[in-house]
Amino acid sequence: MPIKKELNLTKEFIRTDFKLRYHGSYLGFFWAFLKPLLMFAVLLVVFSKFMRFEYENYPLYLLLGIIMWSFFSEATLLSMNSILQKGGLIKKIYFPRIIIVISSSIVAFITLFFNLLVFAFFYVFLKQTFNWTILLSLFFIVELYIIVFGFALMLSALYTKFRDLLHIWEVLLQIGFWATPIIYPLQIVPEKYRFFMFLNPFARIIHNTRLVLINHQLPSIKDSFFPLLIGVAVLLLGYFIFSKRVSFFPEEV
Amino acid sequence: MNDKKIIELKNVSKVFRLPHERQTTFKERLFSFYKKNFCEELWALNSINLSINKGEFISFIGPNGSGKTTLLRLISKVYLPSDGKVIVNGATAPFLELGIGFQPELSARDNIYLYGATLGLARKGINERFEDILHFSGLARYIDQKIKNFSSGMEARLAFSIAAHADADILLVDEVLAVGDIEFQEKCFDLFKKFKEQGKTIIFVSHDLDIVREFSDRVGLIKNGVLEGIDRPREIISKYVKITSAC
Repeated sequence: MPIKKELNLTKEFIRTDFKLRYHGSYLGFFWAFLKPLLMFAVLLVVFSKFMRFEYENYPLYLLLGIIMWSFFSEATLLSMNSILQKGGLIKKIYFPRIIIVISSSIVAFITLFFNLLVFAFFYVFLKQTFNWTILLSLFFIVELYIIVFGFALMLSALYTKFRDLLHIWEVLLQIGFWATPIIYPLQIVPEKYRFFMFLNPFARIIHNTRLVLINHQLPSIKDSFFPLLIGVAVLLLGYFIFSKRVSFFPEEV
Repeated sequence: MNDKKIIELKNVSKVFRLPHERQTTFKERLFSFYKKNFCEELWALNSINLSINKGEFISFIGPNGSGKTTLLRLISKVYLPSDGKVIVNGATAPFLELGIGFQPELSARDNIYLYGATLGLARKGINERFEDILHFSGLARYIDQKIKNFSSGMEARLAFSIAAHADADILLVDEVLAVGDIEFQEKCFDLFKKFKEQGKTIIFVSHDLDIVREFSDRVGLIKNGVLEGIDRPREIISKYVKITSAC
């Protein structure tokens, strides 16, 4: 199989990324759970106890939003870093460079998967109902992956040349976090702003996933496919930028 | 005739655009915005024509910064040529320079798997060769040490051992044997002989003219990005010595 070598390299990169991230730390992989959980705990106390957000299932809403957003921020930051981290290899050996971004995004996805298991635990504990709409969440997670991978390609390709991008991106992630209904429920957003909020594909993906997982409601077809459309556009743009810039990597890293 | 040619370079040039003052942060850019961003064009290689046959041992010599490493990078597809065409009919195992691209925070064992994978070896393939690689490198004691604790000689030994055990048709060796001790150099020469018998192609860059003379079928002289000549070792080496002593 001609793609066997590439798959093998992807696996090896994923292994390396995990080892490099958690080497020498006592809690190791548990940090992957701890980070979103601690964030969740703090925000839950602040918003449901102090600010008294009293919405049904607010903890579940909040946890799901945090988990999905941290997948986005982790995958993009990880991809940007790993292009530089593998600079030594890039300078010396040819291999399809896209494998670096693919493996970083998979590393983040694996973390997402484990975080969703934590969510499932809370879910069973707090809600204990099952409905077939839950399965639809898989579709939204695929949508999320597509759009995140597109961003990761774009950012890592530009980052080798513009090193400011990391700082700019960290700020943008902060802004995005508050511009997306993660902490606050959609209900408190005034009606006239909701249209603009929904132009943000992450707002839609997170909202849709909450609907099917927590409320057992089906979003409309239009709402369901809009993020996919954006995702494919971002992916194509990302791939275009990446393939334009990829041949300069050995000179820039 | 054609199928014997394993590497062919047709009119290959490589130009680097190097900004005189590296400005990669926003602040630097902002404050030097009014200045014209001055770029110097560096012709690392200029219209190289070259063909290498299967099974040949070719060495390249030349002063520092003459373009030897750039040539190897073009052959290994790390760089794309700015002009011209590079045709390579086979898998290359590049072993370029020091600081091979190991991850310093990982153990030697993990790095063998990682480096092997970039050379196209699966875990299974590496496991089969693991003992050979370790034996050849002579670093069995340090296998679970982090690479950051290795000396540059040890690093080079390990990297060369991995590259030598990958199933490549073409081995690119760039000035690395210099850091190995005599015992390791001897091992490498034995390996070169074995590769020659197996019909593998070796491209070698070195400043050690004795080694170049002893092993090479042909030698290329590169100066200021121009291939000044490629011929039998004797002629080229004396030409090189003449150029060097002239300045």
